[in-house]
Amino acid sequence: MTRVPNPQNITQLLAEWREGNQSALDELYPLVYDELHRLARRYMSRERKGHTLQTTALINEAYVRLVGQKNVVWANRSHFFAISAQIMRRILIDHARRHAYAKRGGGAQQVSLDEAATVTPDQSGELIRLDEALKSLAEMDPRRSQVVELRYFGGLNNEEIAGVLNVSENTVTRDWNMARAWLYQQLTGSGAN
Amino acid sequence: MTPERWQQISRIFNRAISLDSEERPAFVADECGVDQSLRSEVEKLIAAHSNASAEKFIGGLAAEAAAPLLLNDDDFESSPKVLTEGQQVGTYYEILEALGAGGMGEVYLARDSRLGRTVALKVLTLEVSRDERRMQRFRQEAKVASSLNQSNILTVFEFGEVDGLTFLATEFIDGETLRDHLRANPLKLGEILDIGIQVLAALDAAHEAHIVHRDMKPENVMIRHRDHVVKVLDFGLAKVAEKLKKGEASEAATAFKTAPGTIVGTINYLSPEQAKSEEVDERTDIWSTGVMMYEMVAGKVPFSGATSSHTIVQILEKDPVPLSKLGNAPPELERIVEKAMAKSPDERYQTAKDMLIDLRSLKKRMDVEVEIQRTASYTTSIAANRTEEVDPRKRRVLLVALIGMAIVTAAIFGISKWRASRARSNAPVTPPAATAPVNERTLTYWITVQKFRDKKPFQDPFTIPGEMIFEEDYQIRLSFSSPQAGHLYILNEGPVATSAPEFNVVFPSSTANKGSSSIAAGQVTQIPEQSWLKFDAQQGTEKLWLIFSEDVVPELESLKEFAGRQTQGLITDPGRNKVVQDFLNTHSETKPNVEKGERLTTLKSSGKLLVHPIKLEHH
Repeated sequence: MTRVPNPQNITQLLAEWREGNQSALDELYPLVYDELHRLARRYMSRERKGHTLQTTALINEAYVRLVGQKNVVWANRSHFFAISAQIMRRILIDHARRHAYAKRGGGAQQVSLDEAATVTPDQSGELIRLDEALKSLAEMDPRRSQVVELRYFGGLNNEEIAGVLNVSENTVTRDWNMARAWLYQQLTGSGAN
Repeated sequence: MTPERWQQISRIFNRAISLDSEERPAFVADECGVDQSLRSEVEKLIAAHSNASAEKFIGGLAAEAAAPLLLNDDDFESSPKVLTEGQQVGTYYEILEALGAGGMGEVYLARDSRLGRTVALKVLTLEVSRDERRMQRFRQEAKVASSLNQSNILTVFEFGEVDGLTFLATEFIDGETLRDHLRANPLKLGEILDIGIQVLAALDAAHEAHIVHRDMKPENVMIRHRDHVVKVLDFGLAKVAEKLKKGEASEAATAFKTAPGTIVGTINYLSPEQAKSEEVDERTDIWSTGVMMYEMVAGKVPFSGATSSHTIVQILEKDPVPLSKLGNAPPELERIVEKAMAKSPDERYQTAKDMLIDLRSLKKRMDVEVEIQRTASYTTSIAANRTEEVDPRKRRVLLVALIGMAIVTAAIFGISKWRASRARSNAPVTPPAATAPVNERTLTYWITVQKFRDKKPFQDPFTIPGEMIFEEDYQIRLSFSSPQAGHLYILNEGPVATSAPEFNVVFPSSTANKGSSSIAAGQVTQIPEQSWLKFDAQQGTEKLWLIFSEDVVPELESLKEFAGRQTQGLITDPGRNKVVQDFLNTHSETKPNVEKGERLTTLKSSGKLLVHPIKLEHH
């Protein structure tokens, strides 16, 4: 009860951020982070068997919980998805990092056989390398990097991404192809400069 | 790679992959011409594109790939069972709706069927309920909060376990936290004082029971929508003061690091002794309350750095920007907040009660001043400008009434306003009542003081109940009220009596109160209404004789003719001066009972006549 974010506040913060107020994002970030993190955990415990995590459904639920059905403004919703994709990326990468660290023996705790069977060290390592490559891409071409973030981490389809970035769907498709090829190149080491 | 090169590559790449694969090499060769390195880059990218498609590289979602990481992460609390509307928890509680998530689990609105009341049910996550240290916190919270029966402390009904669910049932507050409240509204001064007073009332009760909260912050203060009643929550880190040992104090300091999902910012309210992991006592709560009050006034916390370490350094070493530079807080509030945030606990308020008294006193003063300033706010400059017009011959009469003398009129305030103000006051005053006994006289007065410098108001006016040592630059204004109707006369006697004392008529004048000595029950009379009384250069004790009588006093009734501007109120007729002197000598032997409150002084005498000198010493 002590930390129920107020829908009006979230709506207002989203609007402020849309209008270019970066400090609104600073305020939004922890609120959305908490909610997504909590939901992700709940989804995983609910769906322990299948190990699937429906990112879009999860972000949708977070949006409804934080902002409420009544307050849905499409522009806000796009921005909410954009920030959510960014946050999902951070949540997942943080976990991958911790996991990789534990595997290297940095963590004191024993890893159970069960756990070892479900996660190969490669999975976490790959995610971290992807994250690094995305950062390099963002320096050269921020929009293509964002397309990947929205699609891969945020679970948005091309139409939704076009809405968030205010470009055509064709542009999104082209950006995705280029970005994915470049990232593949970076991660597999094929054709290093 | 330059951005131009990158754009060039991507343009050729995108057009190439839109072609059939057999047409691509010729297209790329044609586009790149002699630039072999460009051609090589594009070709490698096209190859990567084909492989990435074939391998479904990043074709799924990151969350799917990372799901097992989430699942196995040690940091994760397993979620509690999700409860739905209508679900029964144990025998008594029926879930009404989900309210949200706290740090330790989900919070629901529920009905307690035993007593038919609505409660907030905090259901703990499985992980928390398996964690003995955290469970200890909840037991502690339940125990501490239920031992404190104070209206500003959230009531905890029950801490229990049923059907494998561990829960805490508390009073349900339909409101918002001070954190949310701060985010939504800039607070008015009155509201800030109201919140501060209620928080301190809660802490005062806790401290009386030797319980230190240790985690005061806006997230732990709730404001009820309905009536703005403030509730202090979360005594989970509270400790019984005597049992505090070294080392335990650091628990609050580390809590913000260990509690998952805690919003950053908790650290801003730590006291220096908490930040240093030293022993803490009640005064740590005073500090944190000071920080909250600062934040309410300034709109930002006093100590905030780029990182936790920077913040801690500020808490330990930096003086915050004075509130007077950030908002328009009255100097008294700035003083109170600064005292609460003294780095050394010994220099702070030593008890919540002390700080509470200062805040309440400030609040009352503001209430009184609002009333006074409502009717007389534009006059100080007039008073100052007229100072030079005083006839030098009258200088030996030390209290000179300025232009106000001629235009003194009684200010009649709305009686309901007066009553409201009195009801809030703790001053030992008999409230105006129609049933006051007739064989007794009661008169309440207070003095408003305005300090001047270079003939200009120098600080905000303040109100005192009576005597103080005045300085030359002070100007004053008197206010009176009585629950009884009667006749009021006020005379000024100067400090130096060469032969016989001389008297000045202050009230009534030919204009004040329409020239009548008669005042109604509950009427507030302010003298002068549109000006100030000023002290002149001669030092000593001024006497302001108050005469309040059930009936007209013939000896005094006609004196108002002297209260004109020409005579400055001086009774120039030696015979009538003598009559006044005799009257006062005779009747001042029976002294009224004087009750001096924080804000007001109340005089009570038996019989139909009350005579009392207010002695004003000045230097």
